[in-house]
Amino acid sequence: MAFVLTFLIRRLAQGVVIVLLVTFLIFTLLRVIPGDPVRIMLGPATTQAVVEARAQELGLRDSIPEQFVRYIAKAVQGDFGESYFIGETGIALTAQNVVGGKGQDTATEQREAKMTRAGVLKVIADGLPYTLMLAGMGLLFTLLMAVPLGIAAGLNQEKWQDRLAFFIGSVFISLPNFWLALVLILLITARAGLLPSIGYKGFGYVILPAIVLAVELAPIIIRGLSMSIAQALQAGYVSGGIVRGLPWRQIIVRHVLRNSSIPMLNLFGVQIGGLLLGGVFVTEFVFDYPGVGRSTVQAVLQRDFPVIQGVAILAASILVLANIMVDLASTFIDRRLKF
Amino acid sequence: MAAETGTSSPARGRGESVTRRMFRLAWEMTSFKIGLGVFTLLVGAAIIWPELSPYDPMKISVRERFLPPIFLEGGTWAHLAGTDQLGRDLFVRSLVGLRNGLGIAAAAVAIMFVIGCALGVISGYWGRWVDIILMRITDAQLSIPVIVLAITILSVSRPNPFTVTAVLVLAGWPIYARVVRSIALAEREREYVRGAKILGASDLRIATLMISPNILPPIAFVAVLDIARMMIFEALFGFLGIGIQPPTPTFGNIIADGYKYLVNSWWIPTMPGVFLILTLISINLMGASLERARNKLFKGIV
Amino acid sequence: MAAPPLLDAQGISVDLVRRSVSEPILRDVSFQLRERQVLGIIGESGSGKTVLSRVLCNAITEPLEITAGSVGYHGRDLLTIPAAEMQALRGREIGYIGSDPGSALDPTIPVGHQIVEKLRAVQPDMSKQAARERALEVLSAVRMPRPERRFDEFPFQYSGGMMQRALIVDALVSNPTFLIADNVTQQLDVTVAAQIIRLMHDLRDQLDTAIIFISSSLAIVREIADDIIVLQEGRIIERSTPEAIVAAPEHDYSKRLLERIPRIWAVEERAQPKTEGEAALLEVDDVYKTYRVNDPTRFFGHNDVEAVRGVTFNVKAGENFGIVGESGCGKSTLSRLLSWIEAPDKGSISFEGESVAKMNRRRLLGLRHRFQLLLQDPYNAMPPHMPVGRTILEPLLIHGGMGRRAMRNRVLEVMNEVGLPADIYDHLQIGLSAGQRQRINLARALVLEPRLLILDETLSALDQVEQSRLLEIFDKLQAEHGFTYIFISHDLAMVRRACTRIAVMYLGKIVELADNHTVFFNPGHPYTKALLSAVPTIEERRYDAAENLLEGEPPSPIGIPPGCSFNSRCPLAFERCTTDEPGLESRGDGRISACYWANASEDELIAAADANRARRAAGEASAP
Repeated sequence: MAFVLTFLIRRLAQGVVIVLLVTFLIFTLLRVIPGDPVRIMLGPATTQAVVEARAQELGLRDSIPEQFVRYIAKAVQGDFGESYFIGETGIALTAQNVVGGKGQDTATEQREAKMTRAGVLKVIADGLPYTLMLAGMGLLFTLLMAVPLGIAAGLNQEKWQDRLAFFIGSVFISLPNFWLALVLILLITARAGLLPSIGYKGFGYVILPAIVLAVELAPIIIRGLSMSIAQALQAGYVSGGIVRGLPWRQIIVRHVLRNSSIPMLNLFGVQIGGLLLGGVFVTEFVFDYPGVGRSTVQAVLQRDFPVIQGVAILAASILVLANIMVDLASTFIDRRLKF
Repeated sequence: MAAETGTSSPARGRGESVTRRMFRLAWEMTSFKIGLGVFTLLVGAAIIWPELSPYDPMKISVRERFLPPIFLEGGTWAHLAGTDQLGRDLFVRSLVGLRNGLGIAAAAVAIMFVIGCALGVISGYWGRWVDIILMRITDAQLSIPVIVLAITILSVSRPNPFTVTAVLVLAGWPIYARVVRSIALAEREREYVRGAKILGASDLRIATLMISPNILPPIAFVAVLDIARMMIFEALFGFLGIGIQPPTPTFGNIIADGYKYLVNSWWIPTMPGVFLILTLISINLMGASLERARNKLFKGIV
Repeated sequence: MAAPPLLDAQGISVDLVRRSVSEPILRDVSFQLRERQVLGIIGESGSGKTVLSRVLCNAITEPLEITAGSVGYHGRDLLTIPAAEMQALRGREIGYIGSDPGSALDPTIPVGHQIVEKLRAVQPDMSKQAARERALEVLSAVRMPRPERRFDEFPFQYSGGMMQRALIVDALVSNPTFLIADNVTQQLDVTVAAQIIRLMHDLRDQLDTAIIFISSSLAIVREIADDIIVLQEGRIIERSTPEAIVAAPEHDYSKRLLERIPRIWAVEERAQPKTEGEAALLEVDDVYKTYRVNDPTRFFGHNDVEAVRGVTFNVKAGENFGIVGESGCGKSTLSRLLSWIEAPDKGSISFEGESVAKMNRRRLLGLRHRFQLLLQDPYNAMPPHMPVGRTILEPLLIHGGMGRRAMRNRVLEVMNEVGLPADIYDHLQIGLSAGQRQRINLARALVLEPRLLILDETLSALDQVEQSRLLEIFDKLQAEHGFTYIFISHDLAMVRRACTRIAVMYLGKIVELADNHTVFFNPGHPYTKALLSAVPTIEERRYDAAENLLEGEPPSPIGIPPGCSFNSRCPLAFERCTTDEPGLESRGDGRISACYWANASEDELIAAADANRARRAAGEASAP
């Protein structure tokens, strides 16, 4: 099994480079583009001197490489910094939050907030169970919908199953997730009252967002599955299997499905991973679902650097790990892929 | 042996018209014709109707607020898709939104296509350190969800058509670079490249004159499908409030503005969505048909 | 013979149905197969022979359709047996071996496991253990080395010849009553193909299996068949025996088939041009090329693939020099080195006395002017999207220095020279035949007026007739312009016709270099003899395959063992051959051979073969 070890070491080393690169990219981007998070944090009423002092305190006036090295040094110890805006109790502490009368109290609140800002890890950890549940349900719905249809279409090229898959795929991929979310909220929750949504008060709140995710992911899997099965059917071992006396069902189940699972695995590593992450962000935001995605979108809109960075590292690491696992699994199915 | 050249697909040997045959094949499919028909209709309307219509997409009309679309009770011929909370005609606004969205998406795809293809050919054909660096960058970029990247930039950079396009290009180019790289890698090993080298052709000549024409068939459908994908992103940015800002209508900001009226005047957020989806379906039908045509061609069925 | 036939095919017709248009593939094909008979079926590609092979096991799928006929077998018609029964009958009583061993099995599952899977699919009552034992037994019977280990290896770890053996095992493992072998040697090298044919011959005698042997080569079918059927455009046009069809073919088409088989020995030899004392045009001096590939089984390890290992030869102006060898012998790498797409690791290549390695860019470009290479595959050698004229014009554009009109005229002139009509100047290459494409390819090389042309398998894709025509053009051009040719090929017959001096390569080395006559009539290296004994022919063989070629395959170019690389298959090998590598020994007149027996007498050779046989017998006896 020296191969597995070599493979893991090589790929993990590559993965670390990628995650570092991602972090640096986001890190630089956040600091190069105009707009001062301290200004947003403290609100427009604060004097420039206070803003500067606060920025100094947060280390935002040092050079970018300096900040980056400091950040990485802490990050490897598990310290990803603290959110600028989210308090320990989970309540957002932005200046924008207090629009509408409480302007005078802002300064006091900010001073308190300084003491109790939530750690990035905590922000992520609070949301992660919800996000994992949503992603898991989304994937489950996707597979339930896409796998039978994709297999049927692949085995029956140019027949009605294929056309149905083509049609469903084309329509589903044309439904923007945020719009679909709105329509589902309107029809299922508001009008029909069949399923709850908006926020999270129980398991039922996961279903609609998960459906939105599934509609976004299913076309990719349907297409990929039907294509790779159709391709596998062209292989020599299929026509060869017939004359060798293998039953058709056995050819399909043991050989065609096995071989077409490799492109599917790759799809999962590259496309599905990315789409799932992106989809989670948007659906969580629209459904006001309390996961990591919602926190991230809010963090980005508020320029909450530490949270964005933390989530970016997390997302990149998940994708990198998913890809390594997928490639390793592929090499076990097809030994030629030993890369 | 390491020196052995790669296998070739059956469609290749028969020559140049792979691109043309792919389009002809696609054209023979009903789905492609439907897609093209709907697309032409929508784009035609988007070009002509806002100019002819008596309604200004930005003009507020207090008396005509919350008018439902024609197929609901109280709808009028004057406002086919109804009006919004400020009395603006949703039909005209949606068509202008279509113009903006499609324009930005098409421009973004064109730019990312050129950039991605150029980098892909360089990376695949010349390889070495360029390849290593480029592939690591695409790896990294594909590891950041597009939305995080996009909203990070847009949330602070005063969104306008140019920044939105730039962000889309930034998000989209790695895929082209990777696909084209793999094509260039395969083409590099082919006999005709060896033949050209023996004749004394320079690398630049081989890359531009001989390899580049082979890029289009496998990637044309990606570009078409991507126009739809980019339109969705553009709309999403608008919806999150980080796209082109109101009052200029885009699908995203119309839907975002109308979101509040979802329950009582549901057509305000949904009608623009219907136009958007019609456009997306038409584009996706064309793209998917092209893809099927390509698959058929490369399987050698025809 | 009163015994009823084993298989009785009557009036088989098959149509290709596409969009309600039917195209006949087979028409009224009838024949009978007796017990233990080997029936050969010959036909060119497109004659319907593969379709026929699939009809016999009722495995016809859309868009093909059987429109008439029956296949009688044990009193039943195979074409009307219910699908479920037929499925078990295939594989159990009917064995089938196809032409493409590389793709016949699932690439992701070990070979042995797939053989067991098949055996248990057709004999469901067999236990896994029994099936495994049976498979191993048959693997040993086909002389598969180390069957236990091979059992668990994957298809991609098998060479073409080994895979074909495994598929023979797969077909025979259930003791079928008859075996269909469809073009089984098509993709194999001649020495490997000869081994497979010999194996099938032996198996027929041991197992009492009837065989339907289908091939496009009369020379191959003749080796094994008892009776022969000739198929042309879906019809049987002649039934005969191997002896009769070679001696006196009845049908015109059979005569043509026979004429098209290249002759090896009865060939008019080319006169050796007078090159005495002349300086060599091309000098290749001890060149080496090793490729480095990753070794996934070791930490950051890599393997060295020794593709070319010290090749030396000279080519003089006006010569036709040939380089022959089977796949993996390093000839394609050598061609890359000669055309200077890659530089050798060691050694030098000089053109007109000047070392190519020391040339600067400009000189190198100038060299490419005088030094051209024609590639193997006329379909892939040129960019597919360029019109004919433009393709030929390309080298002139690259080298520059000519006006537009002058260039066009030059292109038209060359097109005329190679026999291309001027009116296809603006045509695309689609729809042009292989021969025409190869002419475009040739014209493109000639347009620069080179002195040396390297032809890398250039004629391999063409049929005999077209080959002759192009060879004539080559001769004419040589006479007019004084060209020098280097032919690189696996095709002995082609080299025999075209070359004056021939180098034989094996595992990255030249093992023999001599004039054409010597190579074919008095070869000094056992590998050359093995090649000659294996090449399919209808002539009387000068070298017998059984005596000149042992079982086994060429060693891998990774980690080549010490000693002579041919020793594992050599019938003359002795102790020293396994430890010391013989150098090139002169046999006089510039003939050299890398063998300790290079200058041995006939008696010495016989003694060596006897000693080798005794040694091997002893080795087998001492092994368990």
